[in-house]
Amino acid sequence: MTSSPGGLAAKTLPLLRHPVLRRLAQAFFVAFLLMVFAFLLIRLIPGDPAMILLGDEATEEDVIAYRKLLGIDGSIPSQFGRYVSNLVRGDFGVSIRSREPVLSIVGKRLPVSLWLTVTTIVMTIALALPLGVAAALYRRTWFGHAFQIGASVLVATPVFFSGLLLILLFAVQVNLAPIAGYHAGFPANLYYLWLPALTINFVLVPVLARILQSSIVETSTEEFVEAAIIRGTQGWRFYWRYLLRPSLAPTIAALGYFAATVVSYAVIIEIIFNLPGLGMTLVDAVRNRDYPLVQGIVFLSGLLVVGLTFMADLVNGWLDPRAQIR
Amino acid sequence: MTAGSPSIAPAGRLSRVELRRYWRQLNAESRWGVVILALILVLSVSVPLLSPNDPYGFVDQPLQPPSAAFLFGTDHLGRDLLVRVFTAARLDIALAILGVSVPILIGTFIGTLAGTTRNRIAETVWDGLVNALTAFPEIILVLGIVAMVGADIRGLLIAIWISRWAQYARIARAKSLALRDAEFVQAAQVLGYSQLRILVRHIMPNVFSEALAYALSDFIFIIVIIGGLSFLGLGVTPPTPEWGAMLAEGRLYLRTEPWLILFPGFFLSLTAIGVALLARGLERISKGEDD
Repeated sequence: MTSSPGGLAAKTLPLLRHPVLRRLAQAFFVAFLLMVFAFLLIRLIPGDPAMILLGDEATEEDVIAYRKLLGIDGSIPSQFGRYVSNLVRGDFGVSIRSREPVLSIVGKRLPVSLWLTVTTIVMTIALALPLGVAAALYRRTWFGHAFQIGASVLVATPVFFSGLLLILLFAVQVNLAPIAGYHAGFPANLYYLWLPALTINFVLVPVLARILQSSIVETSTEEFVEAAIIRGTQGWRFYWRYLLRPSLAPTIAALGYFAATVVSYAVIIEIIFNLPGLGMTLVDAVRNRDYPLVQGIVFLSGLLVVGLTFMADLVNGWLDPRAQIR
Repeated sequence: MTAGSPSIAPAGRLSRVELRRYWRQLNAESRWGVVILALILVLSVSVPLLSPNDPYGFVDQPLQPPSAAFLFGTDHLGRDLLVRVFTAARLDIALAILGVSVPILIGTFIGTLAGTTRNRIAETVWDGLVNALTAFPEIILVLGIVAMVGADIRGLLIAIWISRWAQYARIARAKSLALRDAEFVQAAQVLGYSQLRILVRHIMPNVFSEALAYALSDFIFIIVIIGGLSFLGLGVTPPTPEWGAMLAEGRLYLRTEPWLILFPGFFLSLTAIGVALLARGLERISKGEDD
């Protein structure tokens, strides 16, 4: 009934019966398809990309050189073959603007985006855990109702608006953060990162806290919780082992799922807060029609999400053996 | 309950009675959603109609704070912000509806097709395809497609259509897996109807209701994407009134004239909040939760 790439593969390859290995094989399959999508992306350009970039007065040699640069010379299968073998060797092409290898541009800009992501996720956990637990414990009080309404409002507020509001509040009214900009180096960079991270969390925390809340409520009706109460389990042991830990799995899974959302919103956030990360590079590349750079960033971001989802699945299996990876 | 006004015509009364019945089935959350959305729709239709000011034209001194003459103030080019905010509402809502409706059709069709096939390899490839498409961070995929197709309204819509159908396909596939052995499908097969006819006429309509429920939450995401890309200067571009583009323009005056971002941002958020409340309310009704 339920079929997955692993389902078919498990029949043919006995090794893939191991859930983690099967999940890994699945991730590789998805990564391969990401490559196909990224390859097809450049084919969406209406007309000849080389002509679009060079204009009508381009010479024949220029056009041929540009086609080679973009990897669109020769037949489609041979283009794809070259694309794959280049990627495997770590060659993502060259930026049309700066003629710098895509991978080295990404390498330079990635640290800022990673710092933003890590700061965001640490903040998410620090805020969503207590909020979700409190919302579950005080579900029937004014706090629970206020939480529900507040969560609905925050989730629907676009980050580029809440970001501007937070700048207005924390950088213009009270001088607790810079209006924009970035300086590398931990921990000084946190001064530039806490407000952008908070902005993303305006969307993320309500979603995750809500999932955690309903998950705790659901767990509290389980028989093993009742059994623990009857046995007299109390204090931290009760809360962690019987209530929180079994409830965390869906939240962690959701965090993995929302990895894509974090990376997504980070693009807009980097523009608002003027952080020189991958998102800003991508937007510049889109404006400049720097096709290879766009293609490379799209592919790598997809790869990043596949990796994060895979890790979330592993943590998930450890936290709640019932949610064994299928 | 107040009785219906005696002056209304019978036909009108019937629809009013029906409307009231629907209204009674709603919970507080979805009622708020309906009220908010109705308010925005009424304002977006009436304000540009009733106001003498042109959303594109200079009307008075630039950067005036809100006043009796200009309720939302004027922008950096001396245009009436009130008219621009509600002209933008028309465009944003129309684009978001367009953005949702095409993926729901494509996705439901493809998903139903995938759900009714019994080919094991096709299912495997299918799973990978949908997983891969949904693995891309949404905004990055949209940006990537816009980079290729063109940074304008057309490119933006194409990007949304290409990147948003997979979730609908997922929902449709799960539902049609359960439906493909249903008795009414078997009956249609016995009657000798073609596969396509069974798919489109018998299975798809039954899959649709679940897709519509998801479409509400997708609407929020799409209106945010439209605003977001226009905010980045890669969708709707000035001078066309659009909430995201207006936020990008007003952002330059954040320190001194914050109303330039407060009004467009507020109504964009309010629209999304209205849909979110409606979606959540309906979800809880369908789950049978009261309060």
